[in-house]
Amino acid sequence: MSRDSNYDHHITIFSPQGRLYQMEYAFKAASSASGLTGVAVRGKDSCAVVTKKKLPDRLVEPKSVGHTFSITPNIGCLTTGLTADCKALVQRARYEAADFQFKYGHTIPVHVLARRIADLAQVNTQSASMRPLAVLMLLVGVDEEHGPQVFKVDCAGHYLPYRAAAIGVKEQEAANFLEKKVLDYPNYDSDQTVRTAIMCLGHVLGSDFRGTEIEVAYVEGVNGKFHTLTEDEIESHLNAIADSDN
Amino acid sequence: MGDSAYSFSLTTFSRTGKLLQIEYALNAVANGRTSLGICAKDGVVIATDKKLASILVDTDQVSKVEPITESSGFVYSGVGPDYRVLVRKARKSAQKYFRMYREHEPVSQLVKTTASVMQEYTQSGGVRPFGVSLLVAGVDPDLTPRLYQVDPSGTYIGWKATAIGKNHVNAKNFLEKRYQDDMELEDAVHTALLTLREGFEGEMTSSNIEVGVVSITDGNFRILTPEQIQDYLDEAN
Repeated sequence: MSRDSNYDHHITIFSPQGRLYQMEYAFKAASSASGLTGVAVRGKDSCAVVTKKKLPDRLVEPKSVGHTFSITPNIGCLTTGLTADCKALVQRARYEAADFQFKYGHTIPVHVLARRIADLAQVNTQSASMRPLAVLMLLVGVDEEHGPQVFKVDCAGHYLPYRAAAIGVKEQEAANFLEKKVLDYPNYDSDQTVRTAIMCLGHVLGSDFRGTEIEVAYVEGVNGKFHTLTEDEIESHLNAIADSDN
Repeated sequence: MGDSAYSFSLTTFSRTGKLLQIEYALNAVANGRTSLGICAKDGVVIATDKKLASILVDTDQVSKVEPITESSGFVYSGVGPDYRVLVRKARKSAQKYFRMYREHEPVSQLVKTTASVMQEYTQSGGVRPFGVSLLVAGVDPDLTPRLYQVDPSGTYIGWKATAIGKNHVNAKNFLEKRYQDDMELEDAVHTALLTLREGFEGEMTSSNIEVGVVSITDGNFRILTPEQIQDYLDEAN
């Protein structure tokens, strides 16, 4: 079968150049399927994630179409890609975190969870029976060991810790924006962290937002809870940004 | 090999008698970042290019050189996620060995086990070969320093000095000229850094490379800190 090497486009086997096409296609789906861009920033003792809220229809219940999820009370994530795959991955992550807590009596550290999710993603790139999940995930949390952490986990099973990261359609432009002040972020308090993430998104999408149009979530401090901001809280951040620009 | 729904092998012989998936896997390795190793008379050094795609990545927590047992470590070129699987399996097998024999698994045994795993994935149902080549550095219980390369096919070869990944052809030529049988570990580390710098894109610093060493004096595989690497780089300049 592999001598045809036409199957290298259908299942995850190597192409003649040594590429894995299914993985690359999964990436494409994860980056562009949802049409969204997500940004995460790591501050001194907090992490923030931001994305645009996209309501397919005005009749849709807004709370049911979020892209930020909490995995444990202290760890949360932002996902882009195929919605069903994202939800499946989040559920699995929640299971893994709960299982860790059950086995070891300790909350799962962020990097352990990131590695576990990445290892699960790798299995789908080596075993032909399941396709890779078309999901890019920004995992955020605050650890006792390492402080605030942002991990980008992708469909290929790569996971890397970031000072600030972006996923989705406008990933490259967002990364360019974030790179400019990357050395300042470790000193940012939670407000600055949240605002940097919002400003990055605003810069890339080229529009001003209202509080109803974006989803913002953050976690602060080792005992902090990962929570999404209300529209009023978002408005006050947007106002603060607008004031500092003027 | 688990619960794959495919009960047939994806790696099959071509008409000309080749196992193409393995050859393609080797191409994947050749696309990876360069790694190299040198076996000196009193120790082994392995090193790799840790250049990451963006300055936004927090390099301190990323590691490609991984200790497996007390006296051995791996480095790779190729597909990162596949490497993690091999590291985990190798560590587990080392623990199993210790549990059975109450002695640390010799490097040569470790290599055989790992190579055997890699071979399984070229023959079992529904899986593709690993897209990594490993360089294994270690000191055997009889105090012999050893350097092995393990390929996606499951072949393992002992080397005096070798390189894998993008720049392996030039790196190996460079090593061939500089290698001496009676080399000491310190010289080997220097040569390793010089070889790595030869093909390095951009400036090589202590934070975009990783170096692991094991010496026969204490038999401990350790990863050099950025400060220690910087000392070597300063001496080289």
